[in-house]
Amino acid sequence: MTVNGSRWSGDVPARQTLCDFLRDELELTGTHVGCEQGACGACTILGDGEAVRSCLMLAVQADGMELTTIEGMGEPGNLSTLQAAFLRHRAFQCGFCTPGFLASAAEILGSGRRYSRRELRDMLSGNVCRCTGYEPIVEAVFECQR
Amino acid sequence: MAEHGDQAMPLAGGQSLIPLLAMRLVRPGHIVDLSRVGELQQVSVAEGRVSIGAMARQRDIEHDPRMPGLVRVAVPHIGHFQIRNRGTVGGSLSHMDPAAEWPAIALALDAVMVAASVRGRRDITADAFMIGPQMTSLEPEELLVEVVLPMRTEGFGFAEVTRRGLGDFALAGAACQDKAVVVFGVGLRPQRLRVVEDFLNRGGGTRAEISAVAASEIQATDAIHTSSHYRRVVAAALVGAVIEESQARGGVA
Repeated sequence: MTVNGSRWSGDVPARQTLCDFLRDELELTGTHVGCEQGACGACTILGDGEAVRSCLMLAVQADGMELTTIEGMGEPGNLSTLQAAFLRHRAFQCGFCTPGFLASAAEILGSGRRYSRRELRDMLSGNVCRCTGYEPIVEAVFECQR
Repeated sequence: MAEHGDQAMPLAGGQSLIPLLAMRLVRPGHIVDLSRVGELQQVSVAEGRVSIGAMARQRDIEHDPRMPGLVRVAVPHIGHFQIRNRGTVGGSLSHMDPAAEWPAIALALDAVMVAASVRGRRDITADAFMIGPQMTSLEPEELLVEVVLPMRTEGFGFAEVTRRGLGDFALAGAACQDKAVVVFGVGLRPQRLRVVEDFLNRGGGTRAEISAVAASEIQATDAIHTSSHYRRVVAAALVGAVIEESQARGGVA
């Protein structure tokens, strides 16, 4: 598989989830694990450009896929447009949910379609944030559509 | 699967099975990953019928203009888009959550479920396929490989009530195709409302009258967030709404 542009190959335990593989094996701990049942969205990453729950995939199922985690989206001093918009709008407080929101938003923005705030609110409802009340998150994503 | 029987579980998109594994609610000896069986992902249209391979993803179905109208309006209600990116039609039907959309779609459209094993293939009616929560009439060594639906582009209606908008499990829902009426998320499996269908066939009535007939027929059970009374009342109201919607879409009800 390819993770953040780097090829990785090896054996993984058949029972290991993708999020545990990313965190424990590759030490990419920016992928956060919340509910482990697909409800909270914290572990969302991009798999072949699509937002997927890394807790709802076994690592073996990612064989051959191209994965992007938060570590592959930008870095301090060189933030992605979306990350910069999150910062500008204060679209995070504790930051636990942020990597998942950024992955979901990346697919939404990648579609090239322009959504209303109402539509974005629906589309972002698969990620849970307990701090911000969502307004700044929706605003940050909305702004990046321009 | 022939070798391991009920010790083997097929893994489709994993959006229901992986949580069950995480919670140790199922402990299969073997998991058979179907993601590389390309022929199970095929979708084809012929002679007024749409044939959907069991491993077709919700995402692909949602954006496929060849789908029946009821499928197009119901599939966006399945989970969030991240779930639809991985979840499959066959996985949802085989998992048989009573609140899920696909069993209700299949029942309203009189879908044919095609099961396969080393012994051959057989057709199962939607009604015979679904038994109860997480229970289908598939044999342990059988796999659902295909769902066949009639191509209908008008006369359909769909509605569900959830706690938190799109993506959440339905507390109560209703679907109809012409005079075939289904409620889901209210009992142990989706229910065809035969008394309501007879009422419609005899000429029907006002929306309120249809809902009253539905309320007397719906078999609802209590759940964590809802009483059986709430589910029956809400589902009956939704039945009235979806029949009105289907008539607005050119239905014959």
